[in-house]
Amino acid sequence: MDASTILLEVFLSTISYWYVIIPTIFLGLIVGGVPGFSAANTIIILMPLTLAMDLEMGLVFMVTLYCAARMGAGIPAILVNIPGTAGAAATPLDGYPMSKQGKGQQALAISFVSSSLGGLLTTIVALLTMPILARVGFYMHSVEMIVVMLFGISLIASIAAQDMLKGLIAGFLGLMIGSIGTDVVYATPRGTFGFLELYDGVPLIPALVGLFAVSEAFIIIEKKVIVNKSEDGTTPTANWHDTFEGVRISLKRWWHIMWTSLIGLVIGVIPGAGASIASFVAYQQSRSFSKTPEKYGTGHPEGLIAPEAANNGVTSGTLVPLLVLGIPGGATAAIMLVVMQFHGVSFGPSLFESQPEIGYGMFMAMAVAYLLMVLTILPLSRYMSHVTTIPTIYLAPMIISFTLVGGFVPREYMFDMYLALGFGVLGYIARRTGYHVAAILIGVILGPLLETYFLRALKKSDGDITVLFSSTLGNILWVALAASLILPIVMDMRRKKQGVPAE
Amino acid sequence: MAKDDRQSVRQIGGELVIPVLGVLFTIYFFSTIWNSPWTAQVSTFLVGSILLFTCGLFFLRCFMLLRSGEANLGFGTLFTREDLSTGRYGLLATTVGYCVLIETFGFTLTTFAFLFLSMVILSKARRIVFTAMISAIMALGGWAVFIWAFDTRFPRGIFENFMETVLG
Repeated sequence: MDASTILLEVFLSTISYWYVIIPTIFLGLIVGGVPGFSAANTIIILMPLTLAMDLEMGLVFMVTLYCAARMGAGIPAILVNIPGTAGAAATPLDGYPMSKQGKGQQALAISFVSSSLGGLLTTIVALLTMPILARVGFYMHSVEMIVVMLFGISLIASIAAQDMLKGLIAGFLGLMIGSIGTDVVYATPRGTFGFLELYDGVPLIPALVGLFAVSEAFIIIEKKVIVNKSEDGTTPTANWHDTFEGVRISLKRWWHIMWTSLIGLVIGVIPGAGASIASFVAYQQSRSFSKTPEKYGTGHPEGLIAPEAANNGVTSGTLVPLLVLGIPGGATAAIMLVVMQFHGVSFGPSLFESQPEIGYGMFMAMAVAYLLMVLTILPLSRYMSHVTTIPTIYLAPMIISFTLVGGFVPREYMFDMYLALGFGVLGYIARRTGYHVAAILIGVILGPLLETYFLRALKKSDGDITVLFSSTLGNILWVALAASLILPIVMDMRRKKQGVPAE
Repeated sequence: MAKDDRQSVRQIGGELVIPVLGVLFTIYFFSTIWNSPWTAQVSTFLVGSILLFTCGLFFLRCFMLLRSGEANLGFGTLFTREDLSTGRYGLLATTVGYCVLIETFGFTLTTFAFLFLSMVILSKARRIVFTAMISAIMALGGWAVFIWAFDTRFPRGIFENFMETVLG
């Protein structure tokens, strides 16, 4: 049987599970949208159900939930400035300003289209280039990973563009907070204030909930509704035109979706790297090579497309090492591994010959899920955007209660709720005094990862710092990092010299 | 004229809170790793030193602004009279209460009480019946979806235990 026949058969088989896929999409949107919940948690909760299903159906369910949760995390990030997961932490940078301008529906449409197209495209690319992609993980050692992290952390400098000192203070404070916990080599407790709960480091969900959700709830009560009133004093109302406009904007920027989602795919392939790194890196690169970098952070569609396309590109990336090498690229992929092993699936290249319905089926399930997702969710963007018109006297307490409890869920420590509240106060002070909470969060997320890889590299080289420039791929990445930081400045200077106004 | 001048002066007291917290936290952090192995120190000393340096630059900038009379040490950007009128302090109090009480009374009852009280404070006690209804629907909806349907690990108390007994 040739490949096209196999793929057609797998496609028909996958689409026949539409009755599983569609309800799972809505479940995924909910669990992705509530901080503290995730596809991984939900799959664990529903593990008995998943194991009871036949393997194909179980995989379709898990893959769909994974993709939908990733997309769902962007919805509250856009509408109420609350990323559902750390992977959507870069989404509100431009998504939320669009909502405040009354373009929430348009922003959702952009998010849905770029997520779906990004996910769909990377699924196809992953399928075609799987043998090559599977080797990426082997080439990415600690040195290379340090440079990848620095790509993400350099976003702090961009955020700091308006007030460099304040941006750097916020970013480095985040990095210090991210360093709390035991060190990775000798497990020496550092900066924990004596709390055992902090020995594993600062948990991400309470930090996310506090910095974004709780602080935002305390800010929005100044206004009656989230959305700003238009010039004539009326509140903008949602209409279908906004959805179509969002689709048009996204399709017009198809190239942008393509290359930012490929960043997500490559980062997703690396075990241990995740959607948060991918979305920060994609946002930073998108801004660096934009002709209008000054528009980023003000509600610029490209600033929304980049993180959404990238974090959905990660989903297919994580499947590559799972299927080809049996190494899960993330938490959800690890649970999929358990379910597949329960059903006796053997991993490796032979999987695609012995059980093509499983190997190709997972990617096909992803492709079908993205296709059905865009068709089912896009029409709902009009109704979802009404969240921005709910009076804040009702919305703010709801945000606080549900997100604080979301902070409790992952570890079941009451301490995490207090921690989320503490981060909320920090976030509130930051917002009121002109410090960017996203810069703090980037530090909290990427700081510990950077330290881990940094120490690993130093340990391997007996403390020789020149190890950072010892690999060919690492050096290429260093040059790329330097270029991505310097080129925009050079381009901007050239533009100013030639007297060409920014578009 | 004098009044206009006073209004145009930037209040930087609030802006100093985060750098001061940053410096204090960094000093504390350094004190916890002073006698630790180099692996525990190297990265944080680097990051902490940069933070101290940037905070130092910020303090210097503030000092220059204060000396030139362009700024004062007021906290107007952080605390305002509007915080009282909008009910922000009330919301903060109910939020702290929510965190303290949820362990004892469980998700559903505490969420209902928190939502009701917070909404009453923010709406200045308007439409109390409607507020109570919304609070009850949200709290019960949360219980039904997250605890009853998905058996999520929410804090449990009297109501959750009672319902568990009733529903078997």
